[in-house]
Amino acid sequence: MNGLSALSLRLRIFLFFAALAAGAVGALFTGLWLAYHRLADPALLDPFVQGGLVAGFAILGLLAWVWYLFDTNVAKPIETLAGALRARAHADGAGEMDASIARYLGDLAPAARAAARRLDETQSALAMAVARETTRLAEEKSRLEALLADVPVAVLLCGPLHDIVFYNGQTLQLLGISATDQAHAPGLDRTLFDTLRDGPIRMAHARLLALDDPDAATDFLCTTRDGARLLSARMRLLGRSASQASYVLTLRDVSAESTRHASREAFLDEVFDRMRRPAAALLTLAEALPIEGPKAGNPNTVPRLLTAMRAEANGLAQSVTELATRRDQARVTAWPLPLTRAQDLSESLHARFAEQGLRLTADAPDLFLRLNAFEIVDLLSGLAQCVAHDTQATSFRLEITEENGGATLRLIWSGAPCPMARLDAALDDPPATNGGIALTGRAILAAHRTDIWPETRGTDSAFVLPILRIRHATRRPAPLPRAVTYDFDLLARDRTASLSAADAAAPLETLTYVVFDTETTGLLPEQGDEIVQIAAVRIVNGRRVAGEVLDMLVNPGRKIPLASTDVHGISDAMVQNAAPVADALRRFHRFAEGAVLVAHNAPFDMTFLKRREAELGLTFDHPVLDTVLLSAVIYGQHEVHSLDALSHRLGITIPEELRHTALGDTEATADAFLRLMAMLKGRGITTFAQTLTEVRKHSRLLRDLN
Amino acid sequence: MQQDRHADQAVPPQLLVIEDEDNIALALEIVLESAGYRQERIAEGTGALERIRALRPDLVLLDVMLPGASGYDICQSARLDPDLASIPILMMTARGSAIERRKGLAMGANGFIAKPFDISELKAEISRLLSGPQTLGAGEPQG
Repeated sequence: MNGLSALSLRLRIFLFFAALAAGAVGALFTGLWLAYHRLADPALLDPFVQGGLVAGFAILGLLAWVWYLFDTNVAKPIETLAGALRARAHADGAGEMDASIARYLGDLAPAARAAARRLDETQSALAMAVARETTRLAEEKSRLEALLADVPVAVLLCGPLHDIVFYNGQTLQLLGISATDQAHAPGLDRTLFDTLRDGPIRMAHARLLALDDPDAATDFLCTTRDGARLLSARMRLLGRSASQASYVLTLRDVSAESTRHASREAFLDEVFDRMRRPAAALLTLAEALPIEGPKAGNPNTVPRLLTAMRAEANGLAQSVTELATRRDQARVTAWPLPLTRAQDLSESLHARFAEQGLRLTADAPDLFLRLNAFEIVDLLSGLAQCVAHDTQATSFRLEITEENGGATLRLIWSGAPCPMARLDAALDDPPATNGGIALTGRAILAAHRTDIWPETRGTDSAFVLPILRIRHATRRPAPLPRAVTYDFDLLARDRTASLSAADAAAPLETLTYVVFDTETTGLLPEQGDEIVQIAAVRIVNGRRVAGEVLDMLVNPGRKIPLASTDVHGISDAMVQNAAPVADALRRFHRFAEGAVLVAHNAPFDMTFLKRREAELGLTFDHPVLDTVLLSAVIYGQHEVHSLDALSHRLGITIPEELRHTALGDTEATADAFLRLMAMLKGRGITTFAQTLTEVRKHSRLLRDLN
Repeated sequence: MQQDRHADQAVPPQLLVIEDEDNIALALEIVLESAGYRQERIAEGTGALERIRALRPDLVLLDVMLPGASGYDICQSARLDPDLASIPILMMTARGSAIERRKGLAMGANGFIAKPFDISELKAEISRLLSGPQTLGAGEPQG
């Protein structure tokens, strides 16, 4: 029965009818044969044979006809219906089922149609729900990314082995890394110690692990790897258990702060030093001075003592004046007040005045004032209220004028000036703020290192408020890098031991790859051709890391032939100020550390790298995969394996302006590599070792470099 | 020293010192007397204006930081009083910063001297203010 059930329905029915026919014909002939024997009359043989043949053909014909009807109207429609149902189960968007084919099957066709429609509805509802949820998650994700990108501290997330899983744009900013200098930048799945010195971080990590308290955080100082920046760091473990030793690291640059602190310390030391000596001398001289007039002895004693005291006092006074001046200057340049646009200040002041029933007109120049707008608005609106109360003035004018390196704010009204005593009293009263900490006017002035006073100009009066530091409105400030770069799946990866790139048994997608491409002066490295451009991208955990790209022009130290310029568009002038080949390769080597190198036609690019090894003192002994060979594994050797052909087959488009630039070709190669990797997996080739075995079968095509 | 001779010949100019620090006041007293000025000292801001009005000095030496009323307050009040507007005022500021000078000038001070000061500088500033256009008014008490 099992053997039969593997056959198709129609064939089984056919076989059934065939068996029926054979049985019926057999029974007929057996019956006739028995009857003939009983009669035992040889003359009756012919009529029996004839009758048997007629009846046999009639039975066969009848059964064939019934079979045909059955096959056409039952078996075939059932098979069609089953096929249609199966198609629906596996694919969506199949059209309405054809009702006419199964009209002899009674309710089966309508029932199947209803079931299929129901399946369609459920499927599309599910698809819509999934789409909605996916969109919501994507939106949530992008909001969180934006939020994390704007946190004004550098945030890094590292795995237990200090490999980076997440970092935000501020990290690049803080470490002083420009967008083009990727070699020193932090990178996903790279050790943090490429970027920061390891000592303090290891110690802090060990400290937290020893505490065994999931909420504990530790603050410490660390430095960048080159020691150029001093950073204040806070580390907190991510996991709830000590075995999950991943951590979040936040960093703040305190180089400037510590320099400031050091210079303040030095200043204080100087102050005490310059005060102590004359103070001690003055005291000693004063004690030596006879109080009740000169006694017997040298009559010159008193004048000599006094001269000495005067000299000391003079020196002391000069020191105080000089130190005070220096202190004032230092304060002016280094106190933490925000830059506020004059226009914004006058607008908020206008709004506050309106709340108090006062009118304010203002003309604000295009200046940035270093002040706390909220406090200054508090101060001036409080004073305006006093004036309004005293003089009935309700209309004020704000004037902002630039004056010797700073600016002067004048709040002008028509009427009597404010008496100094009244101003002093008002400055000691805390202004009525809309909640929050109410500072006295005096405290606000002290924080701004300035003062305020009344002024009379003809029939007008004013308050004068100097602002010490301003800046002219200039071009837009340099944009901050906003991106965040992360792959949290790295945390879930089993990394009890550090995964080495050459780990042949590792699944392909767990390895880190650096896909690269070079543009050169020509195709003959052995005849002195050189690299003019190199680009590389990183693939970590089966995904391209968008923020980690190396793309640089290289000065080949020789002329670029016009024919080559025609291909890649790079001319001698463009590489005039570019890094020399050795520097470029050094940076590439750092970028590619610990990764598998991937290139399209790798032997060509590798030749340019390898022949500089001795000169650089570096080896490019990375494992290498070649997309030409991988393409051959998937599509067979007879196909064309050029990058264009491969991209076309895989549905990858290279923007025309990027074709034959190192970066454009690198990105295309990387995309092709990711798709080829998925296809290899589909063929059961999942590890690096298996891939190499497959690749080597095509070594006639290209040299294997491993 | 020309000032001293002038003081010897006629009535010596009357100075009013408004200063709360006793030691500085003592030094000023000795220096000013030896320079031939008549001088009087008050130690706080309260009532200073009334004393100026009563004494009508030829010059006021005014400290900024005073208990009672601030030096700026006294200066502004004196300038707003038409009777006292012409009396020259020499302000003794704590630090001599640019903002203090601007504020003092706006309040109507005629000169500034920052503490700690040099005696000869102080004397030069006093004689400058006494010989200026304000000295016309300085004769009034005797007139």
